[in-house]
Amino acid sequence: MDIKRTNIRALRKALDSKEISAAELCGEYFKRIEDADPRLLSYITVTKEKALQDAEKAQAVINAGNSAPLTGIPLAVKDNICIDGVRTTCASKMLENFIPPYNAAVIEKLNAQGYVLLGKTSMDEFAMGGSTQTSAFAKTRNPYDLERVPGGSSGGSAAAVAAGLAPAALGSDTGGSIRQPASFCGVTGIKPTYGRVSRYGLVAFASSLDQIGPIANDARDCALLLNAICGHDRHDATSANVDTPDFSEKIGKPISGLKIALPKEFFSDAVEPAVKQHVLDASKELEKRGAVLVDCSMPGLKYAVPAYYLIACAEAASNLSRFDGIKYGFRGEGRTYEELIRDSRSRGFGEEVKRRILLGNYALSSGYYDAYYKKALALKQEIIKEYNDIFGIADVILTPTAPTPAYKIGEQDNDPVKMYMADICTVTVNIAKLPAVSTTCGYTENGLPVGMSIIGRRFDETTVLQVADEWENGFAPISPKL
Amino acid sequence: MAVELSTIKHLCELSKLDYDEAGMKKVMGEMSDIIELMDEIKAFDLVYDDTKDENEISLSDTREDIAEESFPTEKLLSNAENTDGCYVVPKVVE
Repeated sequence: MDIKRTNIRALRKALDSKEISAAELCGEYFKRIEDADPRLLSYITVTKEKALQDAEKAQAVINAGNSAPLTGIPLAVKDNICIDGVRTTCASKMLENFIPPYNAAVIEKLNAQGYVLLGKTSMDEFAMGGSTQTSAFAKTRNPYDLERVPGGSSGGSAAAVAAGLAPAALGSDTGGSIRQPASFCGVTGIKPTYGRVSRYGLVAFASSLDQIGPIANDARDCALLLNAICGHDRHDATSANVDTPDFSEKIGKPISGLKIALPKEFFSDAVEPAVKQHVLDASKELEKRGAVLVDCSMPGLKYAVPAYYLIACAEAASNLSRFDGIKYGFRGEGRTYEELIRDSRSRGFGEEVKRRILLGNYALSSGYYDAYYKKALALKQEIIKEYNDIFGIADVILTPTAPTPAYKIGEQDNDPVKMYMADICTVTVNIAKLPAVSTTCGYTENGLPVGMSIIGRRFDETTVLQVADEWENGFAPISPKL
Repeated sequence: MAVELSTIKHLCELSKLDYDEAGMKKVMGEMSDIIELMDEIKAFDLVYDDTKDENEISLSDTREDIAEESFPTEKLLSNAENTDGCYVVPKVVE
């Protein structure tokens, strides 16, 4: 069976019809991982032994005719999502040998369906970055061009799906960390509404912004995975106690009359002309299929990057204060308690994580709190208001996912400001707690994927998936040669 | 805005982080550039109003305050560097 870019629905059919067994299927993926991952570096940990045990259990369920949508389906999981007994590093030396004593809520839900874990995928350290080059263990490459970054922070998940090393994967998104790597690697990824998916067991970066979501070959698989992982969870007070629809319910329905807004600030000179053109061409195509295009404006976008980094880093500084080398994690040296903690943190964290902790403490410290942190909160209120205004005249919003296609490894290493500004197209969605899906809308002259984002109202994932699916129906994706 | 050495040292204190001399010089330059970017927000002419925040966490959703079974101690201690049935740290009181 050719597993490259095969979607979950096709795998389900193959498993249920006994064309392939669950053990044979995960064996195919491990062969692919052994062949391609030494070049791609998408996994930090491969869980072959556990996978074969999981597959055996899943096969019994399949044989009994009781399959759930994900029974026996192999999946990869980003390495910041806790799995009982499986090393979870956050791509940091700080957690190099950490083995969680419990499952994240999303893992419990996947277990209930009998999924098969292929392994834990690489990421930027503690999800802080957009290139997966701050990973302490596997600096993932882009499957379309191994000299380029896969995006980040869920770069391992996106690269693994794009190259056929997993049919789908879980990622997490704090400021674009599902959508931007999906865009760079030519796959589809959705950041659900904040609160749609429990964060219990997701190692916290910025708690008011973090959200787990799927990365897959298409919008239909994203809907299928979201159906499996969503829902209220008593362990996460910020998980929303709202009805959960079938996220596939609008898929295949016509988009005629649907209003798509194009905020002009997302198409400024900060975005590369080729990227802009592909997204605008896609909007015209959707118009031909019955959608109505609406011009609009989002003036607050100008300040979105500083607002995002001030809020995210303030929360990160607090969240990461738990890493002191005492109860778990990297332990440094020191004659006193204070020296031990400082040495553990100074040597356990990488440079980008340390910069963000410093910035967070700067924003929160006496004398700067009002000027920076509270100002960022004012911006958050303004951005939410501007989105509400746009959703008064449109059903979804269409933007580029990133200002550029995947860039060369090393190109932004010494320029944190340039790296932060590259998040301009994605961060407002997290600030406003909205759902957004990124799907491929074209390829550059040198064959690199370009992604577009479809943003929806809070808890309206069904509409963004409907639009993404409508687009994907007429689009021929190009697989990477790897 | 160039960040002063004293500010970086204060932030290192708050963050429980240490840098050697070369590292301190490098991070000072990087933080100056980053804070210059953050300063752009000062031009935004609105004030935060906490009464306008949407409170999405319903306090009535919290569970009853009843003790529940937690993780086994051995499992939690398995991630610690030094254990003797408890976490072992340097002497805190001299």
